[in-house]
Amino acid sequence: MLTTSRRGFMQLSGGAAAALTLGSSLALMSGCSREPADGLKFLSTDDADFLATLAPVIMAGSYPGQLGPEQARTRQVAALDRLIGTLQEHAQSQLKQLLLVMSSAPLRAAMGAPFANWREASPEQVEAFLLSWRDSSLQLKRMGYASLCKLQTMCWYAMPENYIATGYPGPPQKIPA
Amino acid sequence: MKTTERKPDIPVVAGIQDPMVNGIANGWQVQEATELNDGSVLEADVVIIGTGAGGGTSAEILSAAGLKVLMLEEGPLKSSNDFNMDEREAYRDLYQESAGRMSKDGAMSILQGRCVGGTTVINWTSSFRTPKQTLDFWAREFNVQGLSQEEMAPWFERMEQRLNISDWQVPANENNAVLSRGCTKLGYDWKVIPRNVAGCWNLGYCGTGCPTNAKQSMLVTTIPSALEQQSQLIYSARAERLIIEGNKVLGVDVTALDARYQPSGKRLIVKAPHVIMACGGINGPALLKRSNAPDPNNRVGKRTFLHPVAFNFARFDHTVDPYYGAPQSIYSDHFQWQSVAGAVGYKLEVPPLQPGLASVLLLGHGSDHFNDIAQLPNTHSMIALLRDGFHAQSQGGNVELASDGSPILDYQINDYLWDGFKRAFLTMAEIEFAAGAKAVRASHLDSRWASSWQQAQNDIQQLEFRSNAFTAGSAHVMGGLAMGEDLSQCVVDSNGKYHYLDNLYVFDGSVFPTSIGANPQLSIYGLVARQATLLAQKLKPA
Ligand SMILES: Cc1cc2nc3c(=O)[nH]c(=O)nc-3n(C[C@H](O)[C@H](O)[C@H](O)COP(=O)(O)OP(=O)(O)OC[C@H]3O[C@@H](n4cnc5c(N)ncnc54)[C@H](O)[C@@H]3O)c2cc1C
Ligand code: SF4
Repeated sequence: MLTTSRRGFMQLSGGAAAALTLGSSLALMSGCSREPADGLKFLSTDDADFLATLAPVIMAGSYPGQLGPEQARTRQVAALDRLIGTLQEHAQSQLKQLLLVMSSAPLRAAMGAPFANWREASPEQVEAFLLSWRDSSLQLKRMGYASLCKLQTMCWYAMPENYIATGYPGPPQKIPA
Repeated sequence: MKTTERKPDIPVVAGIQDPMVNGIANGWQVQEATELNDGSVLEADVVIIGTGAGGGTSAEILSAAGLKVLMLEEGPLKSSNDFNMDEREAYRDLYQESAGRMSKDGAMSILQGRCVGGTTVINWTSSFRTPKQTLDFWAREFNVQGLSQEEMAPWFERMEQRLNISDWQVPANENNAVLSRGCTKLGYDWKVIPRNVAGCWNLGYCGTGCPTNAKQSMLVTTIPSALEQQSQLIYSARAERLIIEGNKVLGVDVTALDARYQPSGKRLIVKAPHVIMACGGINGPALLKRSNAPDPNNRVGKRTFLHPVAFNFARFDHTVDPYYGAPQSIYSDHFQWQSVAGAVGYKLEVPPLQPGLASVLLLGHGSDHFNDIAQLPNTHSMIALLRDGFHAQSQGGNVELASDGSPILDYQINDYLWDGFKRAFLTMAEIEFAAGAKAVRASHLDSRWASSWQQAQNDIQQLEFRSNAFTAGSAHVMGGLAMGEDLSQCVVDSNGKYHYLDNLYVFDGSVFPTSIGANPQLSIYGLVARQATLLAQKLKPA
């Protein structure tokens, strides 16, 4: 038991570490050539697909809420784009690596997300992916999981349209002088 | 999901005058950096980098002494007209990295302000003097001189008066009352928190910028007073590096930031015979590193402390409305000083829970997370702020530079601190159950809701340390440019002068050689009032 799990861990680390290293060299190589999607400053179309696929699984019953699927997706992606765009270099480059790995089919397969493309991943598959990162023995995956969840929930629940999901009655009304 | 909307009795905020807008209309010298020409050279007697607790206090004192002061601030200028109690706007405009700042390995979430007035614009108004134990520890371990409790008392008194600091008189909101009720039941001591407010509306939005100007932040107190004394304020102006020649700082090389807070391409130079750094922890050490400032013992950025925060949640069978009412009004130091330099001590308080922040602290995803956040109105949260830096196993973090010169904080939660997290989870759960909680959960991915104190104890004992698997936050960045006469550990002397440069001073929270063991703002106000007054006397002998 112990030896297999330990070997399993090492193999996983090896593969995952390689994928992430590859991701970072890709990030360096492709750096500026990756075009942000229309209307966005940071996220590419692939990144947006990835994040939008996670959103309903992370936010569960509150998503898409009263915004409806189209609006929810557009608003959430825009909010994430803006937030990630203001991070400083270290955090931003780590997220960039993560997003690059997630937008390359072979690399994401090595990281436990074996989907041809994100739009086709079922909620069950996304859930399994999230759980595997959450409970991973690899710090990089746990960090990825935590960052993705934090960014998503922060953007989502701070939207006034979603106050209703939390029962927050909203801030006091303000009438400018 | 909720079908009926509850309408609690909350006041309408109306009829508030904006002192900044009015002052500028009356001729204050306030400019956005991009309004100036590329390559402009500005001059003053003293330049102050950063306008938070340290910068604001310095500006008021030095300008009142008749010196021409120029304040540089990286963040934007926002004031009460802009403060809409909307988390999204607040994080974007008023916080470093939109409140998304993290430690190097992502395990610590770090909140710091970035706007005119600095972190004082978004802090929660708790105001404590530096504890005697801390001042004594500094004298003993770092050879800090002249800052004993007796010597500091008049400075604290002066700033308490200036910022209208006194015990909060209004009954605590339910979120805070949980702490006092639970402690009373268990025989733990607790007290009412002194706050820096004048005419507070008890709204609860101190963290998104006070919309009524009741909070006596630097934005509505010392900065306006410095501007009245002909000081100049340039905002969206990031000090990129200090221009150093020999033992002197000749000036500051400034990057003008655009409306998206990115470099606009314009640069400015500010020249002054005296330079005060007040850009706070993390950013201050990074500025010195970018400037290649002399640092023979390689101490710049070391001993950065965070008061790492452990979070607990409790559910009640009545509404708590944890987003309304003065955010912090009760604290307990029962577990803080049981041993000054032994196992880590902690201060107990509560945080306000607006939904964006709450959703992050609740941790996790999916239906469990949704179920938790959906009960926000009945949810209370307690925090334990760990007093780091008083033990050999608590050396704090280290500031490094990314390739573009921006800071990275490497801070590790080790066994010493994890032991504190676990004891704090237990204490908080015990207090919450004593206060009548129906269920309690630690902010750790492995923690389930426990419905009794017995069960919570069991569960918490089982919790294991895994970085990135529990919430570890910080709203109190301190240290990184330790103060004291022991050169093997310190880079700033007991009067705030940088040891290795003749005209550079550090007047902010980055000089603390340990964490404070209390929310730090009044420690900064008091210390800086002393340092700036001494400097003013030196520069302008009466
Ligand atoms: C959410 C929150 C709640 C808090 N609540 C409390 C509380 O209740 N009680 C309490 O005592 N403390 C509280 N604090 C902490 C307290 O406000 C800070 O410790 C204190 O303001 C720090 O003062 P400072 O002068 O060191 O730095 P700051 O107040 O952070 O000011 C530094 C300023 O320098 C600017 N700056 C940084 N780098 C540069 C650069 N290169 N060029 C130009 N400008 C730069 C920053 O933008 C910032 O405005 C809270 C903090 C947070 C985040
Ligand atoms: S609680 Fe008081 S100080 Fe805080 S935001 Fe409301 S009015 Fe301002």
